[in-house]
Amino acid sequence: MTDIVAPADLWDTDDEGVLFLWVYPDGTVVEKGKLIAEITVEKAQLELTAPASGRLRILVQPESIIKKGQVLGKIEAV
Amino acid sequence: MAAPVTDTGRSLTMARAGREAVIAEMRKNPNIFVIGEDVVKLGGVFGTTVGMAEEFGAQRVIDTPISETGFIGIATGAAMAGMRPIIEIAFVDFIGVCFNQIFNFAAKTHYMSGGQFKMPLTMMIGYGGGYNDAAQHSQCLIATLAHVPGIRIATPADSYDAKGLMHTCLRDDNLTIWMVHKRIWGLGWLGTALKTAIATVPEEEYAIPFGQARIWKEGKDVTLVGYGITVHAALQAAEKLAAEGISAEVLDLRTIVPLDRDAIFKSVSKTGRLVVADEDYMNCGVTAEVLAVVAERGPRVLKAPAVRVAYPDVPVPFSRPMEDYCLPDADKLVAAARKTLGK
Amino acid sequence: MKPTAQQRIWMYEKMLTSRKLDEQVFEAYWEGKKPVFNMGKGPLPGEMHQSFGQEPTAVGMCAHLGPDDAVGAGHRPHHVAIARGVNLKRMAAELFGRKTGLSGGRGGHMHLYDKSVNFFCSGIIAEGMGPGAGMALARKMQGKPGIAVSYNGEGAANQGAFHEVMNMASLWKLPFIAVIEDNNYAVSVTKKESTAVPSWQRASGAYNCHGELVVGNDPDKIFSAAARCVERARKGEGPSILEIETERLHGHFIGDAAGYRSKEEVAAQKDPIPLYRKRLLDENVLTEAEMTALEARVKQEVDEAMKFARESEYPAPAEALEKVYA
Repeated sequence: MTDIVAPADLWDTDDEGVLFLWVYPDGTVVEKGKLIAEITVEKAQLELTAPASGRLRILVQPESIIKKGQVLGKIEAV
Repeated sequence: MAAPVTDTGRSLTMARAGREAVIAEMRKNPNIFVIGEDVVKLGGVFGTTVGMAEEFGAQRVIDTPISETGFIGIATGAAMAGMRPIIEIAFVDFIGVCFNQIFNFAAKTHYMSGGQFKMPLTMMIGYGGGYNDAAQHSQCLIATLAHVPGIRIATPADSYDAKGLMHTCLRDDNLTIWMVHKRIWGLGWLGTALKTAIATVPEEEYAIPFGQARIWKEGKDVTLVGYGITVHAALQAAEKLAAEGISAEVLDLRTIVPLDRDAIFKSVSKTGRLVVADEDYMNCGVTAEVLAVVAERGPRVLKAPAVRVAYPDVPVPFSRPMEDYCLPDADKLVAAARKTLGK
Repeated sequence: MKPTAQQRIWMYEKMLTSRKLDEQVFEAYWEGKKPVFNMGKGPLPGEMHQSFGQEPTAVGMCAHLGPDDAVGAGHRPHHVAIARGVNLKRMAAELFGRKTGLSGGRGGHMHLYDKSVNFFCSGIIAEGMGPGAGMALARKMQGKPGIAVSYNGEGAANQGAFHEVMNMASLWKLPFIAVIEDNNYAVSVTKKESTAVPSWQRASGAYNCHGELVVGNDPDKIFSAAARCVERARKGEGPSILEIETERLHGHFIGDAAGYRSKEEVAAQKDPIPLYRKRLLDENVLTEAEMTALEARVKQEVDEAMKFARESEYPAPAEALEKVYA
């Protein structure tokens, strides 16, 4: 089981971001490195890629405000 | 016809879907290059070119000075000489500073040269308001562009169509303009993604032909015609109408030029009632063209006068209550539909 | 770099061809337009901007150009088209709106295109600057040889497009030359009345590119200046502004009485063609007999082109709807 975390270096400031959308529905088997979500920080749309291959489990819903380092979901081993 | 269900489960924003098409075509065709303001480091004001400079380099993704007339002119010359440029204009409102190169040169060169010079050129343009950007940054101007012969205009309403229409634009040897309403690009800073604008998008390439409207929802009591963001207002309106027992058909024009006149008339012949939704100004607009189709082909199919729900003929106001007053939304479409039913 | 005898003869022949065509076009233009001047009447309708006096600007540059190059002109294109080698019969037919014209009659006098020699026009002032630079950009991107030249008036150099394109052409070191034909008149407004800088060649500093100024409307001098600009472009050293002082011997268009010019000023103008003719004879570049033969050749070519044009059919009316899209 791997946490999907909003990486500390994904954006520069300490501002909060918004989890904009998940590319795949909960339960989808995803590949490591593939795009799985978009995060909005100010005027930028940032990409979140899968930290591992496995089954996506969504913990944070779209439109939620998020912070750097926050756990957004998990990748379960299959 | 509705988008085929390809269950890759990949929900993409319109910006990303459009980019995917551009990148795929750029990988195949070395003559395609992107030119415009802020397309390199910024990736386009609305994210149209994110990642492209990194992949294709400075030769093929080119930042320009603020010189729209100049670089659009340059792109047209490059197109005449065998290249295949994509021009980024972030806001349609900016066509004023370069309109001559678009409507007098690019749109007319093939014709005036008797077919000697082709103009394989695509423009990516953002349009629309509803986020308080005021009169000079919120316009649609679709009718303004559609009015001049020699231009083809695609206005996708979701990411599936965004990708498919971009592929078609990039394979067309004419001036094609791919236009996306800013509030459905899928940019968080312009508001929440409209769920209906985010579709599942296949990984493989596919091209949606011009001149083919799309029925998002079939119905029998009234036809709601829209394009771009107003398709989504129409879908919301259709849901509200369904609760009242009114069955609305939602028809997405998809491309304004060429216009699928057959689809318009077929739908209205079926339902007998027509509401057209447009965020562009009312006067001499796309809504008028849709009504003209019915008036010319057979007005007797109408059981009630048609209703146009378009932007009033005023510059876009800044203050929120005023801007909201002007925008076509689901409630206005519901009221219009009920009016056609005498309710 | 000076022109060879061969090149000088070529320049004279092309200038003369342009002049003879313009003379016959002038005659034909007035058919059907007297006593009442109605622009839409007669076999040559519409506007007509002729090149009387400006012929040297075309030949001095085009003498250096080949099939890899591209040339764009504006609303006064005849001398440039002819120097570029545009098919004369099809050009004349286009002026007469015939089916056999370069564009099948769709373009007309201000919109002459001949893809076989990479020649195009644009009818809006300075509109052709961008496309010309774009053709230069395409050659650079494709790694192909060739340069692009854009013809503009001194009035056109005030248009925004001129500045935007020169900036980018210089920024990106495009193989591009902007020729400024300074005939001193933008219709009725003189350069002094419209332009803050005394010459655009000096303003080339604003774009950080090369600039040249040629005075005297002299084909040989234009040739030499053009040679330098062309060499720089071919070597990848970036664009140039080639400013040429020339003479507009007639009004802006046929029908323009040019009352805004004084009689003295008009009388003082020098026609470059007889001057060059005399020079070629004086310097023994051509004998009288050779000159006579050349002039007869030109006359025949122009006569044939005009005959071809007049005898050609008009396009079918419904053809108006075709060729909007590729």
